Amino acid sequence: MEGVTALVSFTLWVAALATLLILPPGLAVAYALARWDGPGKGVVETLLTLPLVLPPTAVGLVLLELLGRNGPLGRVLDAWGVEVVFTPKAVVLASAVMAFPLLVRSARSGFEEVDPRLVAVARTLGASRTRAFFRVTLPLAWRGVLVGALLAFSRALGEFGATVLVAGNIPGRTQTLSLAIFQRTQLGRDAEALRLAGVAALLAFVAVFATEAVTRRRGRRVRA
Amino acid sequence: MSLELDIRLPLARFTLEVGTRLDGASVAVMGRSGSGKTSLLEVLAGLRRGARGRVVLEGRVLLDSAARSDVPPEQRRMGYVPQDALLFPHLTAEQNVRFGARPGRASRVDEAVELLELAPLLRRYPATLSGGEKQRVALARALATDPALLLLDEPLAALDVALKERVLPYLLRVRDEARVPMLYVTHQLGEARVLAREALLLEQGQVRAAGPAAEVLGAAARGLLAGEGEGEENILEGVLERPEEGGLRLRVRGGLSLWVPDSPALAPGTRAAYAVPAADILLSIQPLTGVSARNVLTGTVVDVEPVATGEDAATVEVAGVRWVVWLTSASVRELGVVPGARVSLAVKTSACRRLR
Repeated sequence: MEGVTALVSFTLWVAALATLLILPPGLAVAYALARWDGPGKGVVETLLTLPLVLPPTAVGLVLLELLGRNGPLGRVLDAWGVEVVFTPKAVVLASAVMAFPLLVRSARSGFEEVDPRLVAVARTLGASRTRAFFRVTLPLAWRGVLVGALLAFSRALGEFGATVLVAGNIPGRTQTLSLAIFQRTQLGRDAEALRLAGVAALLAFVAVFATEAVTRRRGRRVRA
Repeated sequence: MSLELDIRLPLARFTLEVGTRLDGASVAVMGRSGSGKTSLLEVLAGLRRGARGRVVLEGRVLLDSAARSDVPPEQRRMGYVPQDALLFPHLTAEQNVRFGARPGRASRVDEAVELLELAPLLRRYPATLSGGEKQRVALARALATDPALLLLDEPLAALDVALKERVLPYLLRVRDEARVPMLYVTHQLGEARVLAREALLLEQGQVRAAGPAAEVLGAAARGLLAGEGEGEENILEGVLERPEEGGLRLRVRGGLSLWVPDSPALAPGTRAAYAVPAADILLSIQPLTGVSARNVLTGTVVDVEPVATGEDAATVEVAGVRWVVWLTSASVRELGVVPGARVSLAVKTSACRRLR
């Protein structure tokens, strides 16, 4: 079972890191979408939703083309001596990209619920834009943000298609729970795969249960 | 206070254009709903983009679109109290009041809490406060920032609000004790008269009149507000006294005293404000004797003007205090109520309702 512990901790670690990584840009984009209403908003929204509906393998392929040694981004990174493809970094990146839209959607609806006039009042009380964001907007939108982060984390836990393309399925290096389940079944070790599936189900249960709990307790104190 | 305004702001139905200079410590801004009052406050607070022109407060330029200067709201030192209070729902009343307190001026918070009698409310969340309580917390929150000017947007239909919910008595204290200049949007002529030194009348975004409150808040103001559907009231502020023969009286400036409903909780020497609806006063062209009303006042009619179909407002000066009495136009004709006439007013004790 030692292998299982390592797999689980690597998977959790990857999902957590991916979530943390997308939190700052995700919140920025969510906030901008909630407040900004300019031309091209629809296009931006659609582009941001694409990873949710595209086949994950297609997203993985795009990442692979971008980050491979000969890809536009890969070349730059290679010059700095940074290798991404088929490393744990690629696992984090693939999960992050796939989870990004979930975080943005939920955080955005959280931000949209905050009355912009409250922010205006905060400004008249001497708060800068930044301070108003952290003292008023974020605390009032925290449920949406938290739910978004939990959904992103859950999505990252189970990511497969994009990861397998850009990070491969290297045991002990880039293999997460979902990749391991696939590999075990390929090798005919069904009992082992089933056990891993059980572990994955347990992790997913905890993550989704937490999300539901947060959603259900919505606005107990804030709303009259 | 000195506030120079020369602003233009295109709105949906008209352009708000205000060019005036205000010097009074308290200014009432009046006009019908949708005449641009709230927009004016928002321009002053720096919350409206697209406003052009100049705003200069105490020599400080807050807006000068020609010079491309527009001081952001957080640096304007405007204490803004919006119509719906807009308290931060995730913070307690106390945290709300402390939100904008400036370091080194923490005593402002305690002063504001005391002035607005918020001590019992401090731990509560806005969702559990009544409308008037929310307004008081919002007012304290603005005062705690040590503002250069208070911008107050009165909740609509103050007359419908329960007496103890009305913020006016607190505003009088803010004016007299905290001595912070204020710009006060109100729909109530009575409130404006007692609170303001100057007044600004807006109609469709244009200044209809501006100047000393006593001049501006007469006929023009009433004509402009007519049709808003609210009655008018007389608001009297003074000091309570308990004469030897018993009962409770309000001593108003000018030597006038009014019998008001007695209540053991009210100690003599307390400052208090009372509202008397203009429609609840009886007017007689002969000296009144033998009436049950305990307050019988004698004065001179200053002017008479129509307020609504079938009703007129008579302004009567009694010992330097102006009273407004509403009566039917038929009565005005039959009795011969004209400027200069000597009349008596009868005010029932129970018609005097204490604010707060």
